[in-house]
Amino acid sequence: MRLTILIAEDSPVDRMLLSTIIARQGHHVLTAGDGLEAVALYERERPQLVLMDALMPLMDGFEAARRIKSLAGDELVPIIFLTSLSENQALVRCLEAGGDDFIVKPYNPVILEAKIKAMHRLRRLQATVVEQRDLIARRNQQLLDEQRAAKAIFDKVAHAGCLGAPNIRYRQSPRALFNGDLLLAAQSPTGQMFVLLGDFTGHGLPAAIGAMPLAETFYGMTAKGYAAKDILRELNAKLKQILPVEMFCCATLLDINLTQGVLNVWNGGLPDGYLIRPDGERVALVSRHLPLGVLAPGAFDAHFESHPLKLGDRLLLLSDGVVESSNARDELFGEQRLLAVLDANHDAKRLFDEIEEALLAFHGQLRDDLSLVEVDLSEKMAALQLPLSFGAPKEGRPADWSGRFELRAASLRAGNPLPLLLQVLLQVHQLRPRAGAVYAVLVELYSNALEHGVLGLDSALKRDAAGFARYYEARSERLAALVDGYIRLELDIQCDAAGGRLRIGIQDSGAGFDVERALGEARGVECLRGRGLQLIRQLSDGFAWQADGRGLSVEFRWSAQA
Amino acid sequence: MSIPHLDNAVLVTLQAVMEGEYPLLLDTFLADSEERLRLLRQAFQAGEGETLRRAAHSFKGSCSNLGAAALADLCCQLETLAREQRLVEAPAMIERIEREFAIVGILFRAERQRYG
Amino acid sequence: MTITSQPSADGRELTIAISGRFDFNAHQAFRDAYQRQDVTPERYVVDLQGATYLDSSALGMLLLLRDHAGGDEADVRLLNCNADVRKILSVSNFEQLFVIA
Repeated sequence: MRLTILIAEDSPVDRMLLSTIIARQGHHVLTAGDGLEAVALYERERPQLVLMDALMPLMDGFEAARRIKSLAGDELVPIIFLTSLSENQALVRCLEAGGDDFIVKPYNPVILEAKIKAMHRLRRLQATVVEQRDLIARRNQQLLDEQRAAKAIFDKVAHAGCLGAPNIRYRQSPRALFNGDLLLAAQSPTGQMFVLLGDFTGHGLPAAIGAMPLAETFYGMTAKGYAAKDILRELNAKLKQILPVEMFCCATLLDINLTQGVLNVWNGGLPDGYLIRPDGERVALVSRHLPLGVLAPGAFDAHFESHPLKLGDRLLLLSDGVVESSNARDELFGEQRLLAVLDANHDAKRLFDEIEEALLAFHGQLRDDLSLVEVDLSEKMAALQLPLSFGAPKEGRPADWSGRFELRAASLRAGNPLPLLLQVLLQVHQLRPRAGAVYAVLVELYSNALEHGVLGLDSALKRDAAGFARYYEARSERLAALVDGYIRLELDIQCDAAGGRLRIGIQDSGAGFDVERALGEARGVECLRGRGLQLIRQLSDGFAWQADGRGLSVEFRWSAQA
Repeated sequence: MSIPHLDNAVLVTLQAVMEGEYPLLLDTFLADSEERLRLLRQAFQAGEGETLRRAAHSFKGSCSNLGAAALADLCCQLETLAREQRLVEAPAMIERIEREFAIVGILFRAERQRYG
Repeated sequence: MTITSQPSADGRELTIAISGRFDFNAHQAFRDAYQRQDVTPERYVVDLQGATYLDSSALGMLLLLRDHAGGDEADVRLLNCNADVRKILSVSNFEQLFVIA
């Protein structure tokens, strides 16, 4: 090991002696006769070790040591003071000036060599520490850059939704994705709105990666008109497949259907959400299910709870970061405090602000590890512009076809065929601008045929909250028990020079009903049913029915493009 | 037992370390010491206590390195006097230092002879 | 946080006791507790009497244990849960997967 060692000593005798000893140990020697020269020599040659006499003219060893240490920066340049062992004071001064060790006169070559070796080891240690510190800093920066990139990719997927809708207010930290929090909102072609609040276990990139397929599936399926149940099943299946056993996603999915006046909610693992009526009455939306990604598709329970919903209601969802957050005094914000804010609220429009204010007051600062969303149903949700799928032909081609199918008990149980039908109809270019209306009509026709026709349910049950729940329970029960029964759907497309039309025909195996009466009723038993029929009439260009009500047909017409 | 004029163990080490340059070291010491003595006298005459203390301290260092133990001890005593502002006792100490240095000088020149 | 594991006399049941905070830092110790080579239990008991705190990583670890113990066929009980622990398990509906006492 050959070091460059600087000897700063004003006594020529001592200098000569020391140089010889050091050179004989195999090192390259630099000498200085005073402090000033020592500093200059250090700056020029950058030796690895300095032997410093304390008392020197022009600048003493203490000041020279301070300057050299400062020049060295992150690097460790050991300074060994040369001293006559007299008083402790002198030794203290050496150490305070930045000295790392001292050696006494008369110089003992053996001790000198040992100290040089020891200092050299320390020097190498310091260099390693600095190198690793820099490596860690670089890696950390890399991680941050990767996270930024991941967030940018995720945002592209996420912007397909309607979190920007005027009736949604939310609070979410910019780092939410990497805290594991996910907030998605999208509008279905029928005008329903789905809102999903998710909380992944863990944080950082693993949580963010899970969010990606979730968002993609959620937005994709919603846009295609799939029902909330189907979407939820798919989300669970996906997460179960891709996440490791110990990771899962607590979530609440809201299926907001103002047209039919119903809120369906599924909560797996999140704290209570709230449905708040204009008069302040609160319905807690409680977690009844295991989180997403835990159960295999066969065991997964996609049962939604139903609540009646009206204009003027509000919905509130929160991640557990709200209630579980603690302040500087280690107190929990807690459920009681939240409920107190909800109780105290008088002006519904201020609820969101009041919650934020309470959080700020409690914590003394803005927390960035919680998510909060409020959906305000005080105005009709705007109609959706359906995005065109890729590869769509630019011009409409004339079409002339009809298709018929019959869904029997097993298939009626299996699920909703309408999204598929909608996709087929969307191939007819001229129908696209009216896709929302077409789908809404299909939904009305289908649920009318299924619930009132095949299952024989009485919509009068949906009068109040309790009846509501009973209605949907009965729906599940009867559907599960169904043996015979069918719905027949017929689609017919015809075009000519003047334009074209779509005819949808539907028949069911039910008892039938008096359509005329239903349309005419302003209130009473048929009123709710009648509302659906009115809607069909309003949305379509032609509405016809069999007298016994077991068959209905609807038309949509368009004229040739100018 | 009184302090020896020259510590033989130190000399043996110096010889081993310096090898061929041992005589040069002795010469350097002798020349350098003359200068230091001059500085001591000058500092005392000027009444500069702090300068005197430093000069004594430095001289002590090089004496000690060359094994001139008794001389180093006297310098140490002078250093103490100067620090304690007992300048009136300084002349006597300086004289003792000069006498000791004369002895050490003889011994080192004899030592030098042995090495040609 | 300490985790101990104790097989029953006949080796068919393994009791894992947790005290202190059951959080992410317990990951390795918990795994070591049930991955012992010397026993192959049919039943597992997790004693949470001393557990002061449970977070979502703890829930994840319980899922790992259940998976190790046979998934849907597993027999895993969670015992001596205090009110807070019970609340956390209940919000996540873990009683659908574990017997909680």
